[in-house]
Amino acid sequence: MPISTPLTSLLGIRHPVLSAPMAIIAGSRLVTAVGNAGGFGILGGGYGDKDWLVQEAAKLQQCSAPFGIGFITWSMAKQPELLDIALEANPRAIMLSFGDPKPFAPRIKAAGCLLICQVQTEDMAKQALDAGADILIAQGTEAGGHGASRTTLDIVPAIVDFAAGRVPVVAAGGLADGRGLAAMLMMGASGVLLGTRFYASVECDGADEAKKRICAATTSDTVRGMVFDISRKIWWPAPFTARTLINDHARRWAGRETELVHNVEAVAAAYAAERDAGNYDVAAVFAGQAVGLIHDIPPAAEIVERLVSEADQILAGRRNFQAA
Amino acid sequence: MWPDHRLIDLFRTEFPIVLAPMAGVMDAELVIAAAQGGALGSLPCAMLSADKAREQVNIIRQRVSAPVNMNFFCHKQAPVDPSQEAAWKERLASYYREFDLDPAAPINAANRAPFDGAMCEVVEELKPEIVSFHFGLPEQGLLARVKAAGCKVISSATTVREAIWLEENGADAIIAQGAEAGGHRGMFLTDDISEQPGTFALVPQVADAVHVPVIAAGGIADGRGIAAAFALGAAGVQIGTAYLRCPESKVSAPARLALAQGRDDSTVITNVMTGRPARGLANRFMREVGPISPVAPAFPHAATNLAPLKAAAEKQGRLDFTNLWAGQAVRVGRDMPAAELTRALAGAALARLAKLSA
Repeated sequence: MPISTPLTSLLGIRHPVLSAPMAIIAGSRLVTAVGNAGGFGILGGGYGDKDWLVQEAAKLQQCSAPFGIGFITWSMAKQPELLDIALEANPRAIMLSFGDPKPFAPRIKAAGCLLICQVQTEDMAKQALDAGADILIAQGTEAGGHGASRTTLDIVPAIVDFAAGRVPVVAAGGLADGRGLAAMLMMGASGVLLGTRFYASVECDGADEAKKRICAATTSDTVRGMVFDISRKIWWPAPFTARTLINDHARRWAGRETELVHNVEAVAAAYAAERDAGNYDVAAVFAGQAVGLIHDIPPAAEIVERLVSEADQILAGRRNFQAA
Repeated sequence: MWPDHRLIDLFRTEFPIVLAPMAGVMDAELVIAAAQGGALGSLPCAMLSADKAREQVNIIRQRVSAPVNMNFFCHKQAPVDPSQEAAWKERLASYYREFDLDPAAPINAANRAPFDGAMCEVVEELKPEIVSFHFGLPEQGLLARVKAAGCKVISSATTVREAIWLEENGADAIIAQGAEAGGHRGMFLTDDISEQPGTFALVPQVADAVHVPVIAAGGIADGRGIAAAFALGAAGVQIGTAYLRCPESKVSAPARLALAQGRDDSTVITNVMTGRPARGLANRFMREVGPISPVAPAFPHAATNLAPLKAAAEKQGRLDFTNLWAGQAVRVGRDMPAAELTRALAGAALARLAKLSA
């Protein structure tokens, strides 16, 4: 039985499952696969690589399912023309995360596009709703990649209460299976957004070695911090930090961030070289606390199918059910 | 109806809800009230003498026929380190001057003793239906005696690794304690607080890793949180913070007010109050000295020299040095009798479970 929510009607999708706009690795292949499976794929526009965006947007012309394009708001603000390229691809929605969406909302709305805003506090939710957000993503600190400090269990009901039915709320952070989808529906969310789970999928453009490390990691193998942003000389605004798998580089610099900043030129050069060589003992694998639930690298369609059928069984009382 | 009956069957309670043991802010009164509402009441015994624990359990037994849980700490007691002690006193000196306290005056050592033979005798005598431990499990000889007394044994895991260890070492159910939880992290195989996942990431992973029932704890304070925990694979929940403002708790009037004003971002994880990381409402001392300080002596010795400051400040109605442990769900806490709160929580959870599965 399909799980219908205000989110599925608004986006025109079959299943309340969104794939996160993981910068560069959530390309047109993943977006198309998730969309064709009845979910909603969001292209990872990230910091704004124009050539990449033009190329991937062109490929999405072939995608018959509705899809979205996501940006890191504060970074996209430096090249606002990227939004025009994105809008020309006719996405169903633009997703903005990490920054004030207001300057971009009118163009998105004028293009007939929905505005999805990812938030980590009630204040950010207010800012997003004031800007005209149509969908809010409530992201907990369990999430991989960038985020803030409050947990999914805390922030999801807080944003559901704050939105008070005005817009659908989607839960993100630490979720990877149908249990998470069912739980978030119980909490009043209208769907889930998954990053790490779709990272470990066939169609994700991440490196095979990174996907394998996600499959091997347990829930305590991630850390949230600033080490990798400093090492890449990407100066994120507060309060955002990034969750990654713990590796040698994270272990080496965690707690010594000030020293890292003082040595940033040398470290950044060495870091870039190791990353380009595919050495994930140094390079970051952005991943959330759901890593311990992820043990394989299936096609994205299979992930969507598993999520929905497992959640459906839980909601129908056929799973997690022990005889009295 | 509850989608998973394993915990109800194990505990023989009406609801799969455990009132968390909260040492220092509750006694038999809250246990009785929560048990009357259908929860498993937990008596925190870590700060009680054997005689006091016996007296409290007897009071509970006289008032309710429900099962009872006696809770103990089972940390390895670290000896007092004189140099740490001196550094800590030095760090506290300005506060002692501010409150006109004599740093040379004798102080009773902090009374958080690990479970021992004397307490085990009390357990063997009283035979509580359930015994819960924090910081792992006691040594095998003591644990065998607890089990031989017919008690079901539960303990907290903050990581999947700790959950597997607890099952292998004899736990009958495992509390999956997420980062949102108030009070001391139950951690015992790690001392790195960044390893503790959020409750909703931890619960399904623990449920996959062990066979015994999993009790979700940390940040759960309303019906939707309980329902979600069941969807994630929990067979029950442990709730503490939501009960702090019940009239049957021993929380002081100023502390009640602070809790009522608490927001989701009012709590921090600190080691300066006792020497072990615990989540509570941020107070002046945590802000000025912590929240994490390498100078804090090992658990529980950090609390010893704080005791006079806590008492002196509280005399003035101030909570500057009061360890008001609370979880991230502090804003959801309600001022209602514990039996009524228990029934309201269970009712709301059941309604949500029924609505979505209809």
